[in-house]
Amino acid sequence: MKRYLWRRAGGFLLTAVLVSAATFFVLQVLPGDPALLMLGTEGSPEAYARLRQELSLDQPLLQRYLKWFSAFLAGQWGNSWRYSLPVRELVGQAFPLSFVLALLAVGSAALAALPAGMYMAVRSDRLGSRLLSLFTQVGLGLPQFWVGILLIQFFAVQLRLLPAGGYDGWRSLILPVATLALPRTAVLGRFLRAGVLEVLGQDYVRFARSKGLSGTTVLFKHVLRNAALGPLTAAGVQFAQLVAGTIVVEQVFGLPGLGQLLLNGVFQRDLPLVQTAVMLVVLVILAFDLAFDLCLGMLDPRIRYE
Amino acid sequence: MWKRMLVPVVAIWILCTLGGGAAAQVLNIAIPQDPDSFDPIKTVAAATSEVAFNIYEGLVKATPDGGVEPALASHWTVDEEGTRYTFYLREAFFHDGQQVTVTDVVTSLNRARDPELAVRAGELDMIKEVTGLEDAVQIELFEPNSAFLYLLTEIYASIYPAGAEDLSRKPVGTGPYYLAEWRPNQSLELRRFEHHWSGQVPYFAQVNFLIISDENSMVLNLKAGRVQLIPRLEVSVLHQVANSPGIKVQASPMNLVQLFAINNARPPFDDQRVRRALALGLNREEILIGAAWGQGILLDSALSPAMAGFYNDQLGEVNPYDPEQARELLRAAGQENLRFTLTLPANYPLHVQTGELAAQQWERLGLKVDLEIVEWGTWLERVYTQRDYDVSIIGLAGRLDPHSILVRYTTNSSRNFFNFSNTRYDELIELGIRAQGEERRAIYLEAQEILARELPGVFIMDPQQLAAMDERIQGWRSYPTYVVDLASLYQ
Repeated sequence: MKRYLWRRAGGFLLTAVLVSAATFFVLQVLPGDPALLMLGTEGSPEAYARLRQELSLDQPLLQRYLKWFSAFLAGQWGNSWRYSLPVRELVGQAFPLSFVLALLAVGSAALAALPAGMYMAVRSDRLGSRLLSLFTQVGLGLPQFWVGILLIQFFAVQLRLLPAGGYDGWRSLILPVATLALPRTAVLGRFLRAGVLEVLGQDYVRFARSKGLSGTTVLFKHVLRNAALGPLTAAGVQFAQLVAGTIVVEQVFGLPGLGQLLLNGVFQRDLPLVQTAVMLVVLVILAFDLAFDLCLGMLDPRIRYE
Repeated sequence: MWKRMLVPVVAIWILCTLGGGAAAQVLNIAIPQDPDSFDPIKTVAAATSEVAFNIYEGLVKATPDGGVEPALASHWTVDEEGTRYTFYLREAFFHDGQQVTVTDVVTSLNRARDPELAVRAGELDMIKEVTGLEDAVQIELFEPNSAFLYLLTEIYASIYPAGAEDLSRKPVGTGPYYLAEWRPNQSLELRRFEHHWSGQVPYFAQVNFLIISDENSMVLNLKAGRVQLIPRLEVSVLHQVANSPGIKVQASPMNLVQLFAINNARPPFDDQRVRRALALGLNREEILIGAAWGQGILLDSALSPAMAGFYNDQLGEVNPYDPEQARELLRAAGQENLRFTLTLPANYPLHVQTGELAAQQWERLGLKVDLEIVEWGTWLERVYTQRDYDVSIIGLAGRLDPHSILVRYTTNSSRNFFNFSNTRYDELIELGIRAQGEERRAIYLEAQEILARELPGVFIMDPQQLAAMDERIQGWRSYPTYVVDLASLYQ
């Protein structure tokens, strides 16, 4: 276990350094000069030269990378070029929102997928199950942009029950969470259905039944525990994706999350903002990944680490 | 982090439940983007000047009809040579309570023209010296300059306290509103300033600019009553509000010049006949309807009719839609089978659509057009800076003074990415900056005619600015510059 942890920690650090270098150099390779983007069509060559100097864009690449990386480690994240505000403040406001949104979306998707997936597997011959299956298919296929607009149209414009956008407390999160959860419920539900169906055919389930255990005990103690591995892993991946921000949903609902911040940052070649935000997201995902693997070990003795 | 988030959440929730009665004097406005910086000498984004117009003031300020009126200067005098301006300050106060002094004005203006500090210092390089008198400020120019007074209305010429720090996020000005809070990617909260020098207090006590980047969401927010005003509605969603009960749309020229830029230095476009063929082969009526839903005014030269005092309205027949003559010109130039690249900036849907329609029309002349859609950063680098393109399209933002717009087409201008060069035109622009009144107007009329005939590019249209608002909102004023005038609004 100890050796395993050491190995994981080493991998963690290596990935972090590689990602930092990759984000830095990829952003440099992209066409589009940050100083030009800031000045637009009213700039003069003199202003351009001065701005490049001010942003240290005239220094060698490797030197800038090392300077940035050591400053990042020291917690000196600097000012965003696009917003003229400290990166720490911008990310500090956007990250909690994206985190909560991801947690709620995946959490509610998992909660909804549990009964749906079980039902579709156990009562696979019923009409309700077929309808549910069709519904999850549709849920997977609908574009989020469209679902979001539709929800706003109905709940905010017609019924005036919920805010049409922005972030004014928990009520603002209901529609975005629903939009994000819909396709994810469908994915998780189908994963669970497949898992349960597979486990139901196993010898140990038949054995447990013949031992005289009740149907529900078998289903929840023996089947679910073994069938949950697939959907749980999928939920982990979903969460990691959402933490990095959800550009479409944030745009439609006007939510000040990480996705929107990163998108604007990339368009404006706001190097300090994008590099730092990407680094933080990567660190969170790596940490989450590690914790998740350890949790799976608890659920399934076969993948405990010696 | 969590605690930090909890406090605003709870605060807003309490406000929402309590604030029913106070809501009458709050105005919510949807804008697509955050400002870049509130430091007047650092900002370049139009999104900033739109908001900052209400926060900062200069010695003078712009009027809706494109004129200049007194602001912090109650009046001014110009000496006989036209090089020495004396601005007399009125009693006025900054948002922080300090009185505006001569020192504040001198410091602000010197900062604005310091090339080490100010991004657009070059625009004030006609100033020789700024000196403080007892109750006035004297500005000495190197030579007479008719554009000077108009430039003082620009955001970089704003006046703020001499010792002000951290202006980029905490602006201190004298305008009718002050910035109470800026939550990036979310909102800007402005509150009315009770001690404005005019003695007038705006109707709305609080104005929130909400950042909504998706245009469909903007419209839904307007319909749901969360916002009451969208100053710049995308024309593609106009049909969604056009017949909605309770919503009205006010259209006015944007003072934006949309044009096909042509690289005049690159053969065969160095031949005026080829450029003219592109102009004559263009059915701009069709483009106006196809790309802008008819919401725009066709342009024949580099000034929009919004520049009422200087616009040349006699150029309508210079380049009519005439594909026959276009083909003839191409034949004469030996370019019947010309193939060229049309570079379009992806972030402007209007320009991309215009470009696609134009390409079809040019292909009808027998030309071969390769469309190339590029990101804005690439466009600025390749087309605008390196001037490495055949034909492209862009909208050039309007200014109050014609010189600032027209100087772009002079041979030595760094902004002349057309590589356009015409000796008479350069002469006229030189003369125009010193001339006054009727003489100046005649010079710019001729300059516009040269542009219409020699064609640095093909002028297309000035798209309409569509302000969509709750029908109870009154007093909307459109400006030839990129601003939203909050003080004039009421309901």
